[in-house]
Amino acid sequence: MAKSLVKTERKQGFHFLFPLEIPLASATMPTSASVSAATSASRPSTDLVARLGSSDREVQLKALRDVKNQIIGNRTKKLTYIKLGAVPAVASVLSDAIDGSVCGSSDLLVQSAATLGSFACGVDAGVRAVLDAGALPYLVRLLSSSDEKVIDSGARSLKMVYQSKLAPKYDVLQKSNMEFLCSLLNSENENANGLGASIITNSCKTSAEQKALCDNGVLTKLIDFLDGSMIQREASLESLASIMNENGEVTSLFVEYERGQALGLLVKLTNERSARTRLLACECLIIISNVSSRYLKWKGIETKLISYLLELLEEPGHIGDEASFALSNYIEDKEDLQKLACDANAIDVLCTHLQNQLLQPKRFEGILLALANICSRLEICRAKLLHMQEFNSINDALHHDCADVRAAACICLRSVSRSVQNLSAGFFMNEKIVMPVLQLLHDPSLTVQLAALRAIGNIVVDFRTHKSRFMKWGGVKQLIQLSMSMNSAIRLNSLWALKNLTFEADNQCKERVFRELTASSLASLICDPEPCVQEQALALVRNLIDGSLDSIEYVFVEGSIILNAIGRHLERASTAECKVQGMYVLSNIASGSEIHKDSLMELLFQDRENGDPLYILNFLQSNDSHLRTASVWVIVNLTNPSCLGASGRTVKLRNAGVISQLKNMVNDPCLDVKLRVRTVLGQCMTFGE
Amino acid sequence: MSLFWIGIRQLAESESMAMSKKVITRDEWEKKLNDVKIRKEDMNKLVMNFLVTEGYVEAAEKFRIESGTEPDIDLTTITERMAVKKAVQCGNVVDAIEKVNDLNPEILDTNPLLFFHLQQQRLIELIRNGKVEEALEFAQDELAPRGEENQSFLEELERTVALLAFEDVSNCPVGELLDMSQRHKTASEVNAAILTSQSHEKDPKLTSLLKMLIWAQNQLDKKAAYPRINDLSSAKLEDPSV
Repeated sequence: MAKSLVKTERKQGFHFLFPLEIPLASATMPTSASVSAATSASRPSTDLVARLGSSDREVQLKALRDVKNQIIGNRTKKLTYIKLGAVPAVASVLSDAIDGSVCGSSDLLVQSAATLGSFACGVDAGVRAVLDAGALPYLVRLLSSSDEKVIDSGARSLKMVYQSKLAPKYDVLQKSNMEFLCSLLNSENENANGLGASIITNSCKTSAEQKALCDNGVLTKLIDFLDGSMIQREASLESLASIMNENGEVTSLFVEYERGQALGLLVKLTNERSARTRLLACECLIIISNVSSRYLKWKGIETKLISYLLELLEEPGHIGDEASFALSNYIEDKEDLQKLACDANAIDVLCTHLQNQLLQPKRFEGILLALANICSRLEICRAKLLHMQEFNSINDALHHDCADVRAAACICLRSVSRSVQNLSAGFFMNEKIVMPVLQLLHDPSLTVQLAALRAIGNIVVDFRTHKSRFMKWGGVKQLIQLSMSMNSAIRLNSLWALKNLTFEADNQCKERVFRELTASSLASLICDPEPCVQEQALALVRNLIDGSLDSIEYVFVEGSIILNAIGRHLERASTAECKVQGMYVLSNIASGSEIHKDSLMELLFQDRENGDPLYILNFLQSNDSHLRTASVWVIVNLTNPSCLGASGRTVKLRNAGVISQLKNMVNDPCLDVKLRVRTVLGQCMTFGE
Repeated sequence: MSLFWIGIRQLAESESMAMSKKVITRDEWEKKLNDVKIRKEDMNKLVMNFLVTEGYVEAAEKFRIESGTEPDIDLTTITERMAVKKAVQCGNVVDAIEKVNDLNPEILDTNPLLFFHLQQQRLIELIRNGKVEEALEFAQDELAPRGEENQSFLEELERTVALLAFEDVSNCPVGELLDMSQRHKTASEVNAAILTSQSHEKDPKLTSLLKMLIWAQNQLDKKAAYPRINDLSSAKLEDPSV
């Protein structure tokens, strides 16, 4: 009877585990004394922490072992015990045992060190607590013990600390530190070797540090380890990656070591049975390839590396996760490798993984980023991905709980939406893709917001016909809101998107953007403190007024607030990129009506009383060919002979020395400039030059 | 392993010879086999590797004395490893976990999948022993947080807890969790993790060698009829069927 009661109780509560409210405590369920006694023993308690400070050594040791066995592998309990103040208690057991070590307290040493190490393993709060408790120097002292078990325990725990970003920087440039590090690497104890490697991985960042390690024989030692035990090999691979990273000198030393023997050994390790060794070897080769791709070409393993990484994707846990990030790192910004990856069926393999319903966030993120990287340059890759059924999963990922996954999905979308072919076919301008991305513009995570903005920026380039849909979905409003953001990166990218949206857009679209953004906001964005924002604001104006006479009026509204802002901008020193965009705005104005052209002349000759030369003259002499091109275009439009006032304007320009400057430019090294200059001079001839 | 390369070389030789399916008689085959010289030490190393990996510590010790082959691992660590394995096989999971942690605390701290499987095994043992309430409490306290960390753990956990929902577990869809084979699975997972932590291969070399033998024979079958080994335990050569 009792048994069946229990059964029903349980059945009702079957979904109980999540969200973790177990209806167990209900009054109908009698809990026996023995059960609660049995479980309470393995639950965190202040009592147990208190026993760590017992004067009875046996009690102390038992309490230590209890805590250790409870927290190993168990993040939740680590956090609970940290809150209960267990870390300082364990640290003082360690320090007391060291200071008072006369006879055989090695048990206390081993257990307390192991417990501290576990607190520091994988939990930042734990690392902080261990450091705050001042345990580091005591753990270091364990390394000089004569008892191998004590050394093992100390070295392992220190390794845990040094595997965290929170570990204090270990300054290898200090002589005594370097000596200690070398003694770790030269030790017979493998855990000490491993610790040495972790310290290098953690603290070797600058080229001076990389060089110093090399000079002190660390490179040679690490190469020796490549032929050692599995622990030594893996430790060595990680540190080699650190000391070669972006360092051509150290990398070439490694590659040329004993006529390529070290490199050969490294390549061989990509075929090891241990998946971790294979991954680390691949990562090391990627570091080498990023320094110079010829080293891998020379070994003929460029393509093989891609297949190795794809194979490693099959591994569960951390290794499989890392493999996708390593692949990204390898092919990022390298068109040739992206092509090789595509040929090696990487897109299919990655997509197969996307089908897995139980994909962990880290893995999901890595796969999306790898796909984004493969598709970042080449149309064939994008076409392939877009035709895969799994493209939908990328879209679904926009709704994922984890911010990193959402951001990665946006990055992937941005990459594939570089496809001009699909843009012009309106492929991306559909509700299923755009709506979720628009929602992400208000994501709590700034990274996601930015990634979404960048994706939108590409999608809105869409050629003409589909832009009205974007407006209907409220996209313009959101982008304009974001262009007022306090964050300059958000302002930059929202203006960028608006610029792309207004590129070759119809009047209705431009009108909408201009009305909602307002002339005064645009004028203040042109004067933004960030030059990159200024540049995008100017480029947006350039697109807004391109094409029709009506739209040129935008710069003249509210007392020419925009035109004046641009005028001030061009007079002041600003970046070359801003000047280029500003001059194209002027050039678009100069393509307008007589009134537009004359207003522009007024602007160009403003403040001439003080005798300064025209800024356009300076621009024509700039070293930047883009700026010269943009400036000549302004003159081309102003002197167009089919307009009534052209001859008057030509005279004025000639008197200001512009035409004679152009005559000096008939053989400009930039073909575009040369051509436009000749156009202007041709036009001047019609006025009897 | 030299044995392997010899096999491959022979394969390559016969491949180059055989255009149509060639017949190799037992005499020819044995003559070829006799020409292959394998160093005794290599054979001994293979045997030692097997004994050590599988944990036959006494046999390994005797073999060391008889053959003079040095094991590539400290024999005392085998005893410790076997104690862990045995504890899991007897359903004494708590004891096994403590022993692993004494050997090397890193193993379970850095291997969430293995840790989860051990905790799952612990839950299974509680259910097997009818400690229903304790099992529920354990699942909530220890396993549910792991399930939150990893979706696939969650599914495994739900499957395990499902054992509680059935009156007759021997006849339920998840009943296999109570089989001894589940214990063995967990035990060999722990065994492999300990070996890895000791810089040792987790599988004996002999197994891979046998796999290669089967692969090589399958390849050769396409090209030739030859005295084949069908029964791996006796390694008897069967006459080619023509």
